[in-house]
Amino acid sequence: MSKVRSYAWLAWRAAVSHPLRGLRQRGSGRERFLGNYATEGLAPTTSGDRAAAEAASACISCGLCESGCALRGAIPSIRDMGLHAAFRLYSKSPEMLARSGDALAACASCTGCEPLCPTGVPVARLVRAFAARGGALDAARRDPAGPGR
Amino acid sequence: MAGAANQGTFDVVVLGGGVNGAGVARDCAMRGLSVLLLEKQDLASGASGASSGMIHGGIRYMTSDRRVTELASRDAGYIRRIAPHLTFRIPFLIPFATHREEATLLDRLTWYATEVYVGTYDLFQPLKGGKPSARLTADELYAVEPSLRPGLHGAVTLDEWGIDGQRLCLLNALSAAAHGAEVRTWTEATGLVREAGRVVGVRWRDALTGEHGEARTGVVVNATGGWSPRWGKSNGIAVPMRPGKGVHLSLDRRHGNYGIICTAVDGRQMFLMPHEMESIIGTTDDDYYDDPDDLDATAEEVEYLVEGVASLVPSVRQSRITRAWWGVRTTIYEYGVEEDDLSRDHRILEHGAEGTAGLLSFVGGKLASYRAQSEEVTDRAVALLGKAVLPCRTHEEPLPGGDEVPVPRELAERHGVPEAIAARLVYRHGSLARDVLRLVDDDPRMKLVVCRDEGIIAAEVAWAARHEKVRRLQDLRRRCRLAVGGCGGLDCARPAAQIAARELGWSADQLRAELADLLEVGWRERRPVLDGWQLAEEELLRAVHRGLGGL
Amino acid sequence: MPRSARIECDVLVIGGGMAGATAALAAREAGARVVLARKAPGSTGLSGGAISVAQDPASMPDTPFAARSGVVESARRIAATRPGHPYRVLRGRLDRLWNAIEFATGQLSSVLAPPSGRNRWLLTPFGHAHAAAACALTMAPGDLAEVRGTLVVCGFEGHLGWDPWLVASGAERVRSLGAPETRAVLLDLFRWEDGALARPFDLARMLEAPGAAEEAGRMLRKALPRGAAAAVFPPVLGLDPAARVPERIAAEAGIPVAEMLSDLPSVPGLRLHRAIEARLAAAGVEVLQGEVRAASGPDVPVAVGGREVAAPSWVLASGRFVGGGLERRGALMESVMGLPVLASEGPFADPSFRFAGRPPASLTLRDSRSPQPLLAAGLRVDDELHPLDAEGRTIHGRIFAAGAVVGGHDPASDGTGMGVAIFTGWLAGRAAAGRAP
Repeated sequence: MSKVRSYAWLAWRAAVSHPLRGLRQRGSGRERFLGNYATEGLAPTTSGDRAAAEAASACISCGLCESGCALRGAIPSIRDMGLHAAFRLYSKSPEMLARSGDALAACASCTGCEPLCPTGVPVARLVRAFAARGGALDAARRDPAGPGR
Repeated sequence: MAGAANQGTFDVVVLGGGVNGAGVARDCAMRGLSVLLLEKQDLASGASGASSGMIHGGIRYMTSDRRVTELASRDAGYIRRIAPHLTFRIPFLIPFATHREEATLLDRLTWYATEVYVGTYDLFQPLKGGKPSARLTADELYAVEPSLRPGLHGAVTLDEWGIDGQRLCLLNALSAAAHGAEVRTWTEATGLVREAGRVVGVRWRDALTGEHGEARTGVVVNATGGWSPRWGKSNGIAVPMRPGKGVHLSLDRRHGNYGIICTAVDGRQMFLMPHEMESIIGTTDDDYYDDPDDLDATAEEVEYLVEGVASLVPSVRQSRITRAWWGVRTTIYEYGVEEDDLSRDHRILEHGAEGTAGLLSFVGGKLASYRAQSEEVTDRAVALLGKAVLPCRTHEEPLPGGDEVPVPRELAERHGVPEAIAARLVYRHGSLARDVLRLVDDDPRMKLVVCRDEGIIAAEVAWAARHEKVRRLQDLRRRCRLAVGGCGGLDCARPAAQIAARELGWSADQLRAELADLLEVGWRERRPVLDGWQLAEEELLRAVHRGLGGL
Repeated sequence: MPRSARIECDVLVIGGGMAGATAALAAREAGARVVLARKAPGSTGLSGGAISVAQDPASMPDTPFAARSGVVESARRIAATRPGHPYRVLRGRLDRLWNAIEFATGQLSSVLAPPSGRNRWLLTPFGHAHAAAACALTMAPGDLAEVRGTLVVCGFEGHLGWDPWLVASGAERVRSLGAPETRAVLLDLFRWEDGALARPFDLARMLEAPGAAEEAGRMLRKALPRGAAAAVFPPVLGLDPAARVPERIAAEAGIPVAEMLSDLPSVPGLRLHRAIEARLAAAGVEVLQGEVRAASGPDVPVAVGGREVAAPSWVLASGRFVGGGLERRGALMESVMGLPVLASEGPFADPSFRFAGRPPASLTLRDSRSPQPLLAAGLRVDDELHPLDAEGRTIHGRIFAAGAVVGGHDPASDGTGMGVAIFTGWLAGRAAAGRAP
């Protein structure tokens, strides 16, 4: 098929098919876009999420925060992975965050962790923020109206 | 086993364990041919391991031949069918930008044309289970992606599939092996054996054990990718190709859920996209004449990529870049054409005229079309052999683990592992995640979390060492992304090395040598982008591994 | 009575790692009133338990332990062969190096063993023997150069964290240098539900529990081979030295018990950090929790940790990248005062090289085993430890730099990190307090 035919076909689409299609579509572009991806859990990222992500990026995996966590021995999911799983495995992606279960929610905000972080990650505050976000994502995931992929 | 192979006879010998080589090996084996695959390093060590990680539907071909787009989209659909666990959606935004104060009529026409073009691609999306595009106004665009710079005029959205190219390549090789192929990694083909203008055999040497042998065969498939010209030269064969170096950067975490198409300073199209647990910025395309075994990302390439993305997403300059990685594309040779304008089509070269009848070379192509490309080569090989074989079924038969996608929550509850870990196992192993977790039932120590960046437990490392053609510690980078994240192996390198050593029978010295090799490979990737927190990470990594570990 | 917002003192030390602490304690001993400001544990809290000062660059890999040069002599050799290294800058004062080491280890005698003048050789989880001039108290009995008899290398049954055969191979590799024979054993101390997945700090706490150390000692005694002279454990023998975990194990087992050096997370590192905190408090150093940024120098009172500190002399011991004293965000910068980053390794040791703005790949070498200029970057100092500008002039007569913020050494490559921290800290502290050099 030559280039000429391809361009002619695209010109037809531009002049006729595409505008016709636009007339038939329902909802705004944004509504259709978000509707496509809501069930996949691919939602927009708020500036709050971004700020938390940037703060969490300062983690250099040294593990010092673990020594200050009052709960670490008590909660199996923290005990097994170490507190800084909160920044690494769970916070990198909404899918992981939605699955964090009790590992983040158990945080008692004793803030024994924060003063120990060499790079100044606001550990306790992030854990609380991620826990809240994780709970919301998990609830959205389980919503019968929108099954996961 | 080794004895039998040293002087074995095969219908086909495939050189190169990238996705094309593995795909051909699989197709040949599934059709009933005996196959030997030789890969001089690890599977997916070349371009297949450094791709952008997408299987797209060939949107750019609608201007030249929309049948190519149709085929590409259909084949992307096949890949989804045979490895459903391995694909994930990436919605892309194509913002409408102008660097002038006001949008000109030409700008608006260009944007409309883009909208029409992407809207036309919607016709092909059903072939690969893709979602239709949408036109966003400026306000809608900022609501959906606030990190974009001000002054944009809206966008059109585009749906593509992301994939872990290294796992895809591995699964093809494992499938080939399951159908009787012999797959040898870290084994180099040291020479072709020719008689009367035909290729009759391949000599090989195992780089790790020194073992060598010769395989008799009637057909040799050269799938050595970026190494083709060099390989060809050392065997007195011309493989015309324009090797194209491509560099990508990884960010520490997903910047968001949507990819963003940007324009680089020289007008080339680039992207910033979320991919599994990180973000990827890509890519460059430059003619590369040097040794494909000896690549590095240059400061110019890194800055070029960051600058390109920063033009639309200024905050990327504050993001933590964890590493740079690279590969060499096997682009079809054309003289007098800019790299970007070269065809991404593929070609099969036959070398009969050069006195090497029976040798087929794979040139060009892209990750998304590997299966169709492999089918063509296999058809050609079958014709050369003149054998009656089973029909091609690579588009139907699931790859290992691709027959069913388990529910992570159920696996998590049954085996007592965190759900997030189960989800990562399901992503990488599909239905075989159950088998990996059975190791945990037998030995609860295997629940130990080895890597917190990627959610790797000891069981997965052991599984890979036992079943996934792991011979060196660095192979685990490609199997389960060990030490590939920002931590550079700070937590995971030594425990993983200890597990691999136990499985593969390494001595303490060998363990240390493998650990040193893994760290060296990681250093090469982190070196060009050391900055900010990643530099602090590097200080810690060196203190522990070099200072304390003496590696 | 409300605390006043403003503190007047003689010396402000910025940074609470080994360099800052040594400086503060040295200044205190010289009679000064000292305030120490620190933001976080920094890299000292992440250290593995070794105080590495200098290894003899002239020794061959097969030179026996006993034949190797002492620590001070090794430092002199480094000073002679490494342009740009702080030992070279301070070569006229290297005769005081040992005073500094003894001072620091004496101040921290609750966790550090007295040094002997020769390097100790200590096992690491990586199957390597590491040389250190001084080390944690809990590690000294594991000195390969001193153990006469078989060294028992212990791991925990069910815990994949440490592989005693790998650890023991570190001693095997240096047998010919004088290291003892080894025997690897696994002790079935932790039921897997409790311990097999436990992280180092949890294991340490479990071992502090009543009876746990004694149980470990009994198990060890049963597993001892004939001729066992000492035992080495993973570095989790209790977090609190007062719990006396290694001593209790040793009492039951009947042989000395040591910890191996630690990678991360590091229980010994946290012990060291806490011991530093305790010693600073006991010595009467006022410690402020806070960060100092955009400071202009001792001539102006500076806000930190909710207070205002006025001190005529400052010691800048803010660390390198982990410590936060240096950062690279596009270009290399010193974070507290914006002083120029001019000193580094190799060719970049020459002050005429303005490398702070160069891309990272040009400041690193492909072979990761080489000393890396980017990781050795820092302030250029004179032999009084005053930071210098690009023309070689002293920036301020009452600012002293100490520790990793001083450039010219890549601690991971040359094993002089702690030595530089202690030596420069001691000299800076004394000078800041007005004590003659």
